[in-house]
Amino acid sequence: MTTEPQFETVDMMLNMGPQHPATHGVFRMVLKVDGEKVIDVIPHIGYLHRGTERLAEVETYGQVITLFDRVDYIANLNNELAFVRAGEQIMEVEAPERAQYIRVILAELNRVASHLLFIGTYAIDLGAMTPVMYGFRERERIQNLFEHVTGARMMHNYMRIGGVKADVPDDFVPWVRQLIGEVRKGVEECDKLLSTNEVFLGRTRGVGVIDGPTAISCGLSGPSLRGSGVPYDVRKDDPYEIYPYLNYKVPVGENGDCWDRYYLRMLECYESLSMIEQCLDQFPEGPIMAAGRRIARPPAGEVFSHSENPRGDLGVYLVSDGTDKPYRVKIRPPSFCNLVGLATMTRGSYIADAVAILGSLDIVLGEVDR
Amino acid sequence: MTEQDPKAAAEAPKEAAAPAEKPARHGPPIVIAEEVLNERGEQTAAQLASTLGTLVLDSAGREDNPWVRVDAKELHAAAKKCRDGEMGMDMLNLMLAVDWVDRIQMIYVLYSTTNNRKVILKADLPAESPAIDSLTDLWEAATWYERETHDLFGVDFPGNSDMSPLLLYEGFEGHPGLKSYPLNDYEEW
Repeated sequence: MTTEPQFETVDMMLNMGPQHPATHGVFRMVLKVDGEKVIDVIPHIGYLHRGTERLAEVETYGQVITLFDRVDYIANLNNELAFVRAGEQIMEVEAPERAQYIRVILAELNRVASHLLFIGTYAIDLGAMTPVMYGFRERERIQNLFEHVTGARMMHNYMRIGGVKADVPDDFVPWVRQLIGEVRKGVEECDKLLSTNEVFLGRTRGVGVIDGPTAISCGLSGPSLRGSGVPYDVRKDDPYEIYPYLNYKVPVGENGDCWDRYYLRMLECYESLSMIEQCLDQFPEGPIMAAGRRIARPPAGEVFSHSENPRGDLGVYLVSDGTDKPYRVKIRPPSFCNLVGLATMTRGSYIADAVAILGSLDIVLGEVDR
Repeated sequence: MTEQDPKAAAEAPKEAAAPAEKPARHGPPIVIAEEVLNERGEQTAAQLASTLGTLVLDSAGREDNPWVRVDAKELHAAAKKCRDGEMGMDMLNLMLAVDWVDRIQMIYVLYSTTNNRKVILKADLPAESPAIDSLTDLWEAATWYERETHDLFGVDFPGNSDMSPLLLYEGFEGHPGLKSYPLNDYEEW
């Protein structure tokens, strides 16, 4: 039976956000709808624009680290790592091995925490209220460890150009080992609860499909790109820190739909936990800060450095004019680039699926707007 | 009037127009970083040089990220060559503008997911009414980057159909990314 329209239809503009629980912050999109079908999406961002990049030009290199904490406030340590790595490249210093291990352990834990938050809130987007409780319970355990190590639950300011601020406490290794066991159980619980749920599959399978070449052209990265079958991961393709010495797989999807993007993050949680275990097995003794001057005053020049954030490829382009303040700091925000693909994914789907598609990109508005 | 008077009058404004001496900078002298490519970077640089040919004005690079500077008018052609040629630069990874006060430099970081190589294209624009061809027909990622750069630096992109403000609100005056924009004492929204 064909469903030819029997009468003339009129397109309607439907506003969604910026104050909307499903937009994960202050994000607004204007949907052009024909009945229940979305014809076009016009995203509006900028409600959280704080001028981070301009502000970084009047702060010293040490102070800029605190700004990076606030760019992507779900994965603070990954963002700090991105900036201090750019700083190290331009200063031509290398962090001692122990510091690199500490950074990678904390960054991977933060990746798990970020993905747990995504899994929980994504389930809420789709109408399931329970998984967020499990997700937040495990995330809280990880943040307790962060508080123990860095002194703050979220805005850590822990990493430094050339190392880390302070050595980890004596009970760090046993604490993390116990934490991994607990978190792994929690992730498995979420996995069992959601991944094979009939309703969840119905809402995510075949929804918001984007093919590989389009995803690359839009500049997608991270799980959003890997869901479309492009195995691009900065940890593998441009290895940094101690990642070459770890044994891990990068899960890659096939269909480029919401379920692939969701499930890749679930699989990444397991991979990250196993990576942390390997780090703990190899955890060396030694200094935590590279020898050198305490005030960063890099030579004039520019450097591009990038690292894998939970949301994708986080790049930092640093231009120095030889003073103790950066001349220009440009952040490549993965959420910002992932949002470019939103319109392509959403065209032709239902309004309720627009929520599922936006959720599957796992955006953080602090990073989109900077 | 003697003959020497107009001569002296011509010299006097010349002296007045000479730029004032910059006050001495405090702190240690500025060191300029050496740009050295590693082996992998040299390979990419050679490939890039053969792809772009005579378009290259200037080139160097650091680690495995070679950069070339091209004329602003040729940037679109250069980017197209990088995308379609054997370099296969299928992703516009990053685009930014740097305000050097006397000029605005556009920097494009291209990435190839198939060859796993990065190259950087640069182009200098005049500080007065800067404009450069849009790359939206090559990469969709350019749409938002260009709107952002238009907001913050006032660079125009002929070819980009939608230049509405992205990060700033409708009716915002000035370009807050520029060095000349005050960091405080502006009118609160």
